[in-house]
Amino acid sequence: MNVWEQLRAHRLALWGSGMLVLSIAVAALAPWIAPYDPHAPLKVGIDDIFAPPNALHWLGTDDAGRDVLSHFVYGSRVSLIVGFFATFISVFIGGSIGLLAGFVGGRTDHALMRLADVALVIPDLPLIIVLVALTEPGLINIIIAIGIVGWSGTARLVRAQTLAVKERPFVLRARALGAGTARIILRHVLPLVLPLMVANTVLVLSLAILNESTLSFLGLGDSTLISWGQMLHFAFTRGAMSAGAWWALVPPGLGIVWVVLGCTLLGQGLEQMLNAGRERHHLMKEYRQPPPLVPARSSAAVLEVRDLSVEYGAEGSRAVCAVDGVSFVLERGEILGIVGESGCGKTSLALGLLRLLPPGGRVVGGGVWLAGHELLTLDAAEMDALRWKELAVVFQGAMHSLNPLRTVAAQIAEAIGRHEPDTVDIAARVDELLARVGIAPERGGDYPHQYSGGMCQRAAIAMALACNPKVLVADEPTTALDAMVQAQILDLLNELRRELGLAVVLVTHDLGAVARICDRVLVMYGGAVVECADREALFARPLHPYSQALLAAHPSLKHRRGPLPSIPGSPPSLQETPPGCRFAPRCTRAEAHCRAEAPALRRVDAGQMVACHLVDVAAGQGV
Amino acid sequence: MVTPADIAREAVLEARQLHKHFAAARTGWRRRAASVRAVDGVNLRLMAGEVLALVGESGSGKSTLALALLGLEKPSAGRVLFRGCDMAGTSARDWRQLRRQIQMIFQDPYESLNPTMRVEQIVREPLEVHDLAVDQGRICAALEEVGLRPAVDFLRRYPSELSGGQRQRVAIAAALVLEPAVLLADEPVSMLDVSVRAEILNLLSELSRQRGMAIALITHDLAAAACIADRLAVMYLGRIVERGPARAVIENPQHPYTRALVQAAQAMGAPLAGEAVWASQQNGCRFYNRCPLALARCAEADPGAVEVGPEHCAACWLVGANAQGAPREL
Repeated sequence: MNVWEQLRAHRLALWGSGMLVLSIAVAALAPWIAPYDPHAPLKVGIDDIFAPPNALHWLGTDDAGRDVLSHFVYGSRVSLIVGFFATFISVFIGGSIGLLAGFVGGRTDHALMRLADVALVIPDLPLIIVLVALTEPGLINIIIAIGIVGWSGTARLVRAQTLAVKERPFVLRARALGAGTARIILRHVLPLVLPLMVANTVLVLSLAILNESTLSFLGLGDSTLISWGQMLHFAFTRGAMSAGAWWALVPPGLGIVWVVLGCTLLGQGLEQMLNAGRERHHLMKEYRQPPPLVPARSSAAVLEVRDLSVEYGAEGSRAVCAVDGVSFVLERGEILGIVGESGCGKTSLALGLLRLLPPGGRVVGGGVWLAGHELLTLDAAEMDALRWKELAVVFQGAMHSLNPLRTVAAQIAEAIGRHEPDTVDIAARVDELLARVGIAPERGGDYPHQYSGGMCQRAAIAMALACNPKVLVADEPTTALDAMVQAQILDLLNELRRELGLAVVLVTHDLGAVARICDRVLVMYGGAVVECADREALFARPLHPYSQALLAAHPSLKHRRGPLPSIPGSPPSLQETPPGCRFAPRCTRAEAHCRAEAPALRRVDAGQMVACHLVDVAAGQGV
Repeated sequence: MVTPADIAREAVLEARQLHKHFAAARTGWRRRAASVRAVDGVNLRLMAGEVLALVGESGSGKSTLALALLGLEKPSAGRVLFRGCDMAGTSARDWRQLRRQIQMIFQDPYESLNPTMRVEQIVREPLEVHDLAVDQGRICAALEEVGLRPAVDFLRRYPSELSGGQRQRVAIAAALVLEPAVLLADEPVSMLDVSVRAEILNLLSELSRQRGMAIALITHDLAAAACIADRLAVMYLGRIVERGPARAVIENPQHPYTRALVQAAQAMGAPLAGEAVWASQQNGCRFYNRCPLALARCAEADPGAVEVGPEHCAACWLVGANAQGAPREL
């Protein structure tokens, strides 16, 4: 999206920039707009002094009989020139100091930031007044005074952003290439700091214009120049108030408000643009589409998902179909693996059934039945109650889902206390849960950062178990962990299933995890299920060409020298779903039929279903 | 632990008794802080035309070792040798020039490319940095070599317009354009999908065979390493505990830790309990507290590496000459 399109999407920024452009146009075209030349000598009659607005002087005249409109138009020039140049100085100084402090760090950073702190503490206006009073009042001195005072805010902002950017891996990569410091700052850090600086610049501009007006109003401006502040100064000191000549005061005042408001709106708008997606939390605006009410079919099932479809995209724009009519039934004590590569819709499926889709995502069809409830028709409070007692979640990167400021035991106790307030001995229950997941109860008093990654994941599982849920949805629970710890966590899930009868939905891209603990596996590709099979069947006899390719590409210790089999092409883009089988473009055996018609999921035998035209269902033969 | 066979061939990049210790962050009011020995006496020889896989869990020090080999971390002790030259006194400027010969690719292809640069700028940058002739042909050739064909289709794109596998290819192209002698690949496929993973591993394997490049594949995934590595070195808490020809190590693992890794990769058996945690007071074998076979002796003294097969060494009291009695340093 280019800048113009972004501006159009953000009303605030559009208004703000419109207001600023108008002011700049007025300033630039002053000689053509102003009805009189304010610098020309005047012949003034007594009637011309403080004359109210009339046909000759649309905004009346001031104490010396000069045309207010002409002064107003020319006055915008000085206000804007001072504003722009002073801002340039502030942002240049602040930006350089911020970049240097943030990038170099250590003592340089310390010294520069203490300087910035001092600059921030000294009130701007008195300092500017002192600076201007010490020097000759003139345009350049005013610009310099305002400019060198306003740098500290920018410096702090730029430093913070620089600190964040310099830790990003591409900076390390640039260093590994052999790039020097100057190159890294200019080519890699600055471009990522710049957008924030631009948004900040607009706000600095409004401050500079206000400062200039204040100075002139106090009589410290260059008296030979016309500026809005100067107009106010003269109006006040020469009796416009007592003469009731509001027209001498209002136009310059409104001019200042107009420009400052324009800057503020633009700055706000730019900030919104840069922080897109932070407007509202996704839990606050959840889409709900009441699906047809059909009772659950299977009685042994604890969780049933039928024809669930999930879409992303703002309303009105073209929606992206992430999950397309997925159904499955989960029984007590069963572990169902949902495998697929990134973008196959496995996480959207999990979040959709949990009703935790991010902004823009919505369930557009199907139903989810859990313990006799249709989840998609519940209101938020009912859903919350179910979420802990019936259905719990464990996410990837447990480190981030624990509160770093509270002990692990306190967090688990809180979960129990909130959802099962009747529990008599919460502390005993916490100890029991910790022991259950293999954490020594005395470590419960530790904070999450004192835990290793594997222990954090165990703690997250303990918390999920707090209210004895029947179903646990685990979204990539082992992805960031080491091989050995992965196996430990998977074995823990297996144990919980055996001992508590917990049913688990394990969302993963790792076939190794599936092989270790899953009873049944859904293989997803491009938002749809391509194969659903018992674990043994899938590993012994994968039927779908994608399942076969995925298994073959999985690195194995048994692999002998020679290239690994890979799947040519790239995963499908969800925006453009091909009409036929989604895997057809990458399938080595695709026929014309495959590209024309999407295959349905068909049952091969009791333990296996597949969506492929090429599988002979009657014979149970793969391709 | 340098075997005679190693000496026979010339190492392009070599680490000798390399140490890198970090002072642990001070916590609370306690002033004394134990240092973390990320790399603790590693010997390593990387030959032209081979893929050496460095396998270990997070915290085993493998990434720190790579950064030390690249001069981005200053070793606490020990030496790095490039083509036999000691790099100890090398200035930061000379190191920068040397990086033309030693290139590195990183784990996260989504974060390791600057999002504001186009593919062409990303691949051009190394040439500019090293004051080499920048010509479009060279850039395109590098892109085509990593399988981004036709290259002109990719030149104007931003990283955000590429898939994960394509991004990693761009990162490899930016390293290849300098025609380095050594490529350090730090977890190059762990963030990629299985179907793409194989392609990147195959590409690395080809580069070592066809260009004679020395490649160090740093990974936690033993299976991925097994697929393309000629030699394997297993790291545990800053030390290399076992190394040797890849097939020998995988089919006949000697160190208990390697055995556990092999089992975990085959989804077999119970995983080791606990996690790799460095206990600074420990004198003995670092694997002692997790080892299923530990003896009293293992807690008392650190085992040296002994030969257990042709070019195959392990550092354990239970193997080879160690098991017969007197430890022998190789």
